[in-house]
Amino acid sequence: MSRRYGDRVTGHAREPAVLLRGLTKRFDEKIAVAGIDLDVPSGSFFGLLGPNGAGKTTTLSMTVGLLRPDAGTAHVLGRNVWADPVAAKRLLGALPDSGRMFDRLTGSELLAYIGLLRGMARDVIDLRAAELLDVLGLGDAGHKMVIDYSAGMKKKIGLACALLHSPRLVVLDEPFEGVDPVSAALIRDILQRYVAGGGTVIFSSHVMELVEKLCDHIAILAAGEIRAAGPIETVRGGRVLEDVFVEVVGGRTATGAELSWL
Amino acid sequence: MALIRHFVLLKLRILGNGMRPRGTAGSKRLVMFIVGVVLGLWMATAGFAVLAIGSSSDDADVRIAVVGLTGALVTAGWLLLPLLFFGVDETIDPARFALLPIPRRILTTGMVVAACVGIPAVATLIATLGLVVGGAVRGGTPAALFAVPAAILSLLLCVLGSRAVTSAFASMLRSRRMRDLAIILIVVVSGSLGPGQLAIASLVEQNGLGPLTTAGRVLGWTPLAAAHAAVLEAGEGRWPLAMARLAIVVVALALLAWWWSVTLEQAMLGTSTTGPRDRKVSGSGGAVDALIPAVLRGLPAGGLIAIVARDLRYFWRDPRWRASFASLGIVSLFLPFMLVVMTDEGRAAAPLPAVTLFIGVIIGISLANIFGSDGLAFATHLLVGVPGRMELRARIVSLALVVVPLLTLVTIMVGLLRPAAASVPAALGTAAAGFGTAAALSVTAAVLMPYPMPQAGNPFAVSSGGALLRSLLVLVGMVSAIGMTGPVIAAYVLLPETLIWLLLPIGGGWGVFAVLIGTYIAGDALDRRGPEVLTSITPRL
Repeated sequence: MSRRYGDRVTGHAREPAVLLRGLTKRFDEKIAVAGIDLDVPSGSFFGLLGPNGAGKTTTLSMTVGLLRPDAGTAHVLGRNVWADPVAAKRLLGALPDSGRMFDRLTGSELLAYIGLLRGMARDVIDLRAAELLDVLGLGDAGHKMVIDYSAGMKKKIGLACALLHSPRLVVLDEPFEGVDPVSAALIRDILQRYVAGGGTVIFSSHVMELVEKLCDHIAILAAGEIRAAGPIETVRGGRVLEDVFVEVVGGRTATGAELSWL
Repeated sequence: MALIRHFVLLKLRILGNGMRPRGTAGSKRLVMFIVGVVLGLWMATAGFAVLAIGSSSDDADVRIAVVGLTGALVTAGWLLLPLLFFGVDETIDPARFALLPIPRRILTTGMVVAACVGIPAVATLIATLGLVVGGAVRGGTPAALFAVPAAILSLLLCVLGSRAVTSAFASMLRSRRMRDLAIILIVVVSGSLGPGQLAIASLVEQNGLGPLTTAGRVLGWTPLAAAHAAVLEAGEGRWPLAMARLAIVVVALALLAWWWSVTLEQAMLGTSTTGPRDRKVSGSGGAVDALIPAVLRGLPAGGLIAIVARDLRYFWRDPRWRASFASLGIVSLFLPFMLVVMTDEGRAAAPLPAVTLFIGVIIGISLANIFGSDGLAFATHLLVGVPGRMELRARIVSLALVVVPLLTLVTIMVGLLRPAAASVPAALGTAAAGFGTAAALSVTAAVLMPYPMPQAGNPFAVSSGGALLRSLLVLVGMVSAIGMTGPVIAAYVLLPETLIWLLLPIGGGWGVFAVLIGTYIAGDALDRRGPEVLTSITPRL
């Protein structure tokens, strides 16, 4: 029981933190994710980039066990998410959408709830919850219901929920969306420290500057397919990431001829 | 006018798109639509026949009794049923037009016309057109022709009236859980249909049609049935009176239309006030102590206790749960009193253990869509990997913690009020059996057939069609739950008076057994189907 949380297994650090093979999902006629292969190295700060509707959320949902893929496999730290979900879910933390939390609990109640569900001991929960709330600047709001939090505070409490059991991998869907610069800097800081301590972060975003600043590995997703993946330097090839992104995704730049009536 | 046509086209397009086969959801909706059409046709035909026959009768008393009462019943149905359980058709939501430059008059008209496109409206129109037959038989062509605008006016009154009533109550009853209560009311009403029929029959026997005719006459002068009664007047050639009655409807319509266009403006601005935003929750000490209420604090903290604690907190903090709690309270308080204490000539309408069994079933059935009412927060459980059995058992335990004290108290009180103290232990036993069986069935249904609930906004809004079908399913569930308590019922019937207390252990054991078996099976299913449950409770946009 005591090794269920808080243990940093360092033995097989070289195996990928996330390993996706042929992951596929279709919604009715629309193919959302078309057979993705992806390796997220252990200890990396991994950015999943893509325009809106590229399939980022779908991919991450299938990685954390929220959405069953139509085909393919997802492994998290060597555990098959869909064959052995309990073991996989124990090792990872994920940032739920703010609508996907029990938001009529206060911040500290929510942390206690998650901790108890994860089978953690109550003194550990109390200690970590207090510390997380303090570091994330939610100490004063600990007794306010999450539903009354601002967008940034909701992201932060979600992050606290994901980190509470000290997972080796955190999966974050748009962690910086709707977050003010101060909170964003704080979240960035915590994640960087977490990676420095041996953890792996994979997050989705379409904010290039952020990804460029944070990530050591990226993958660019468009129309349900991986268009480019690898260490950020390799993908970028000496150019600005934004240009690479637009080129890879196949966007267009205005020529000036259209919208002449504007 | 051209714009108004677009509203109708939009409504038809939305109805059509809803049925375009999109995987299984589409075909399910198609089935629900067909069921709706069949039900609507049936009711339309029945209404048409009643009004046609009633309005062509030779007896003036019969005419006004049948037409007045039927008309009032239909209109009242339109006013009350959406409140209870159908919900308002929000397919065309005024808020979506907020940014478009549409004059209010056109918007109002367009919304009303669009609201008239639908099964209930068409069925009502068909039924009301039964008056044409009566008009033709009694007064010839002029009266028959007169019946057509009267029918249209009465339909408009129904549509506008139902909108007005639901908007008026929307802010008051911030809960779609009221519809749960409605199901219970429907059950009670249908349960009292038999006695009610007897009562009406004996009333007619003693006083002839008198009371019904009087009721019909009175209602005929209210907007509820004035349009219908107007056709009767026209049929007898009393045109001034016909016009007077129609004027009542027109005035009522005008008032409603004015009111509707005022509220429409508010609806377009979105939900206005939501009350004080900063809800502080007091609490001190560690995070775990903050979560777990005092009653549970002595127990070893773990996942099950955490879920129970969260559930209990939600009973108070979530308006939806609070409303459901209130409705459960009403059921367990009033039903026993109604059925046992209020009796005629000292004979109880039903024995106490039978009543408490029924109440237990009703309370247990309220778990039938727990995941849908959790909303997407269920994703949290899925992320953590909460064991299915633990989840389901916790939900049943927390509901039991709330209702058991209440029900016990009420049962003892009723037992003392009617001298029936001897049956109190038995009544508690049957209540436990009913609750356990219904809860086991409900959580199974919750895992196998979850459906999304609208997240916010109008508490009467239903996310998709099929509300009627779901209400029917709930009734089926209740009947099966009662059926599955068969052995307990048999014991109640067979045990001699002196041993009737044995029902307490028998019923209690049966309830616990049902819960254990049900959560065992359904919990396994939940472990397998977790992601699918999440998908089905995610509202489709």
